[in-house]
Amino acid sequence: MITTLLISVGLVTSISVFLALLMVIADATIANYGEVGISINEGSKELTVKGGQPLLKALNEQGIFIPSACGGRGSCGLCKVQVLQGGGQVLPTELPWLSEEEVQNNVRLSCQFKVKQDVEIKIPEELFLVKAFQTKVARIRDLTYDIKEVTLELIDPPEINTQAGQFIQFQVPEYELTDEEVYRAYSISSAPSDNKRVELEIRLVPNGICTTYVHKFLKEGDTVMINGPYGDFYLRDTEREIICVAGGSGMAPIKSILLDMVDNGISRKTRYFFGARTTKDIFLLDEMKELEEKLPDFTFIPALSDPQDDEQWSGETGLITDVIDRMVDNVQETEAYLCGSPGMIDACVKVLKNKGIPEELIYFDKFA
Amino acid sequence: MKQSPLLQHIQQQMKPGVITLDGFLGTDERNLIDILIDDDGTVRRLGRTHRAIARRMQYFRDAGYEGLGEFIKVDDYYEVRVDSVRGKLPSPFGGPALYQKVNSIVRNLKLGREIVYTDMHIHFARDHGFYEGKGSLFRIEPEDLITILEVPPEA
Repeated sequence: MITTLLISVGLVTSISVFLALLMVIADATIANYGEVGISINEGSKELTVKGGQPLLKALNEQGIFIPSACGGRGSCGLCKVQVLQGGGQVLPTELPWLSEEEVQNNVRLSCQFKVKQDVEIKIPEELFLVKAFQTKVARIRDLTYDIKEVTLELIDPPEINTQAGQFIQFQVPEYELTDEEVYRAYSISSAPSDNKRVELEIRLVPNGICTTYVHKFLKEGDTVMINGPYGDFYLRDTEREIICVAGGSGMAPIKSILLDMVDNGISRKTRYFFGARTTKDIFLLDEMKELEEKLPDFTFIPALSDPQDDEQWSGETGLITDVIDRMVDNVQETEAYLCGSPGMIDACVKVLKNKGIPEELIYFDKFA
Repeated sequence: MKQSPLLQHIQQQMKPGVITLDGFLGTDERNLIDILIDDDGTVRRLGRTHRAIARRMQYFRDAGYEGLGEFIKVDDYYEVRVDSVRGKLPSPFGGPALYQKVNSIVRNLKLGREIVYTDMHIHFARDHGFYEGKGSLFRIEPEDLITILEVPPEA
């Protein structure tokens, strides 16, 4: 009886050990994908990378940067890439971000899709221009109590080519709130001609990993890694009148566009509506005044939604949508550029459409 | 307390690096079921319900949205700012919805206190009675929500 029991226990133990060994061997061999090839844009670039890693990371390591505002966590839906060969099934974590048409066209979220075999992908040509830059913090200044302007001096490479309105990704190193590097996207507020520096306007978000780092830890002289430029929010080359609308750090890309207009002698009629709550939330008034002098037909229209009794404010008051509603008419041949929170963008699009601006001429950079 | 395989799966989804970098449980090593029971006890002891809390959170969120990204006065002594950052998150509890990273900052000027919560928190409170684990960066104490938002008992 005891002998039978011992044999049974021995047998079960042996089978368990054998299965465990099998799993270890499988993990080391089957899960090891070795080197795999990535062919980009019909072979215009061929890469060899370590298999099994997310496509976003594999490309990143080879110096090809796909825009991603969440640092590869599948929570921003920005890092879409067309996988023409070797894609396999779309993962459940990708589906919420993809339209039916995108699924049919083999669009994938590059942060979720792992490269386990040779693949062929298609990416916009302009992404080849995106680079990683080592920078040094040249200046940090308070624009308001919760918005800082950060000027980064480019070290390597020393120059960047951007279009006004585009954004970069800022790399946050490990610190108190994160035990790994994360990336966050911020619009560039400086002019493209100022190509040895990148200026950003960053508003403190409660408990935000990057904004807390910038507001509480970043110092002048620190090294910061960025990559970019990205984005298709830029001034269209037309003769139409321009309406710009922004609030808070939405100022950044609009300021870049205005500076670019100065540099390129663009004299189109431009009105810039900027919404804030009190005078404490308004900034760059002097810079805007200077732009009014440099641009022949430019008007800056700041508006306070809640001016305090002790504030000497003689400008516009009310929500920015009310101000636009009051001041904008005759919108023949007008296009609009908006940057801010989804609430602000949605409300402004509604007002501007009611005024007669076609939706396809309303361009926006939504923080969403 | 021992928890169901479903809650076990959800707890896995809440771990760091699965949906968010830091996860939803902080330094709390208890089973999810124990976290839920503990917070449910607090809410019951204070004579409120999770739905009543979520309704009040949603009320300020909707009222603050009208401020277009800036602080706006709500009722007699509240200031609310509803702002967004880029990105959306799925719920660790599952379901097809994606929650925008919308922050609501509610200041109760009468009490001189402020609380910050996201759209995901409203979903957590309303649908699951969950307020994140102790030590989580985004943990909200239900008692603070009840006090600052002045959550009324349900009729």
